[in-house]
Amino acid sequence: MTTGTELASSFLEGGGRSRRELMTPEGVPLAVDLADYGERAVAFAIDFVLCMAATIVIYLLFIFLPFGGTTGIVARSIVLFIAFVVRNFYFIHFELAWQGATPGKRVVGLRVVDRRGGPLLASAVVARNLTREIEAFLPLGLLQSPVGAGSAAWEQISLGLWLLLFAALPFVNRDRMRAGDLIAGTMVVALPRRVLLGDLVESAARYAFTEKQLRAYGAFELQVLEELLRRPVGVETSRLLREVTDKICRRLEWPAPLPDADIRTFLREFYTAERAFLEREQLFGKPRADKHYESKAAREPADPSVKKV
Amino acid sequence: MSAPAPVEPMTQRSGPSTTPIILRSSEFRRGREESWRELEALIGRAERRGVRSLSAEELQRLPLLYRSTLSSLSVARSIALDRNLLLYLENLTMRGFLSVYGPRTNVIEGIADFFRRGFPAAVRAVRWHFVIALVALVVGTAAGFWLTMVDEAWFSALVPSWLASGRGPSSTRESLLDDEIFAAWPGLAQSFVAMANFLFQNNTMVGILTFSLGVAAGVPTILLLVYQGLGFGGFLALHYNRGLLLDFVGWVSIHGATEFGAILLCGAGGLALADRILFPGRYGRVESLAVNGRMAAQVAVGAMLMFFVAAILEGGFRQLVASTSLRLMIGAVTGVLWLFYFARAGREPAE
Repeated sequence: MTTGTELASSFLEGGGRSRRELMTPEGVPLAVDLADYGERAVAFAIDFVLCMAATIVIYLLFIFLPFGGTTGIVARSIVLFIAFVVRNFYFIHFELAWQGATPGKRVVGLRVVDRRGGPLLASAVVARNLTREIEAFLPLGLLQSPVGAGSAAWEQISLGLWLLLFAALPFVNRDRMRAGDLIAGTMVVALPRRVLLGDLVESAARYAFTEKQLRAYGAFELQVLEELLRRPVGVETSRLLREVTDKICRRLEWPAPLPDADIRTFLREFYTAERAFLEREQLFGKPRADKHYESKAAREPADPSVKKV
Repeated sequence: MSAPAPVEPMTQRSGPSTTPIILRSSEFRRGREESWRELEALIGRAERRGVRSLSAEELQRLPLLYRSTLSSLSVARSIALDRNLLLYLENLTMRGFLSVYGPRTNVIEGIADFFRRGFPAAVRAVRWHFVIALVALVVGTAAGFWLTMVDEAWFSALVPSWLASGRGPSSTRESLLDDEIFAAWPGLAQSFVAMANFLFQNNTMVGILTFSLGVAAGVPTILLLVYQGLGFGGFLALHYNRGLLLDFVGWVSIHGATEFGAILLCGAGGLALADRILFPGRYGRVESLAVNGRMAAQVAVGAMLMFFVAAILEGGFRQLVASTSLRLMIGAVTGVLWLFYFARAGREPAE
């Protein structure tokens, strides 16, 4: 059975996220959002640019050394080697030191996690990053390498296929793993930092609601209302609040029309009463996911005493 | 799940009243919020500057706070409907989980650990696959040798022209000696950088093909190993027919122990993958690959680094050391060193 929180999440976030459940070693399931392809591409682009910049700086330092004045194929090889060392050092260092994040991943809010909820091991970090060499950088280097004069057309084609295959891999598996993730048993999740906002519960009660009125809604509506009340103050918000208040009043058969000035107080008090009611129901083992709960329950012939509200 | 009971007197209220409503979830939050905030601050610092920036006392505090927040999350899930609170706790626990169970090594330790323990242990784990790869290579070499020894026309069929680079049935003993076995050293930059890079790229290319085609049930891996053996056998026979077998073996051995070791390890890794795919055991195929693929990947990654060593030896040192006996000695020493390393390294238990 879907809970009201899940319903609210898919309603408010558009349901575009793919969720996975990780079981911590303590046995508490945690829901994580898989990283989007776009997010991962952006994170990688940032990391790649940083690596390139570091490579260029190191190479410039190198050629000003006395024995560094080389050109052509030798210089090329040196650059490739520096790039190889820099990017592997970079990725492995940051994913180890920052618990699965690199600067690019941090900007976008991504983390590498163990797919089975275990600790992220150093060997997994090394494996997933060194596999990147085999997936992409080695074949790329070979593709545009002038030394491979002996390389035939079929070699170029097979390299191209190789790259395509690995680039397509994240799109064809459920957890969006590239080959490195597959081998290391990791996946990349989106973990933006969340802030704890104030409690919306109002202690003073000016309005009172009957149980019949509170039965009109479920956890889903409650959480959407919460989101609405947390919106920053503005013309648009006021309009929305007015609309919602009117709807609620119609449903609750509220006797008197509410003036604009009282809307916020009314909604917060309604939120408080509704939450108190729903939380108590949930504690008694009767969670109400949304306002259709009663009609859904009524359709099941289990208990004919339920009245439709 | 049963439907709600029709009457609950405690929620019945008639007319306006001013009794404040007390929510269990709000009380709960008031009692725990301080420790959540403390955990959040600790994690924030660990994320920004690494877990190592925390003091000993804070490091002790971190798992305690994490576990209490984890239990807060479990409680909140059953008693609270505050969406922001639930999402915050879920997010905070996840971040706490990553900090508490995150890697404790830095990059140098990680890489050193890979060479001290991970790589040799992985190689030991695939030793039977290694034996199969070795058999495939030896069979190929023997076949190539025999074919070419009897009829040198086979040479051009077994060895691609870019690899033969002019050598073939028409080569004389002198041309092989002067242009190949004892060719002049091309100089520091050319040998150590350009030549080594070229060799490295070619070898790793062959190596990754051998490894990754193991996914296709291992058949291409075996074929590639046999094919490598055929070409090498062809070269052996070409030199054998000109009385240069020992010199050629010396010429190859200086890097051969390392390079053949690496290609065989790639083959062994590929065969280990094939093993997992053909006989997944109690897991699904993808899962089995994920569980055991790490070991195979470690073998392949280590083999890439062996190719690097081999390329330095071959590109840089081979022509520098212009003596067959010295070359054989270097080859033997590297071979013994590798054997010793794979057999002994990392046997002691992890700290």
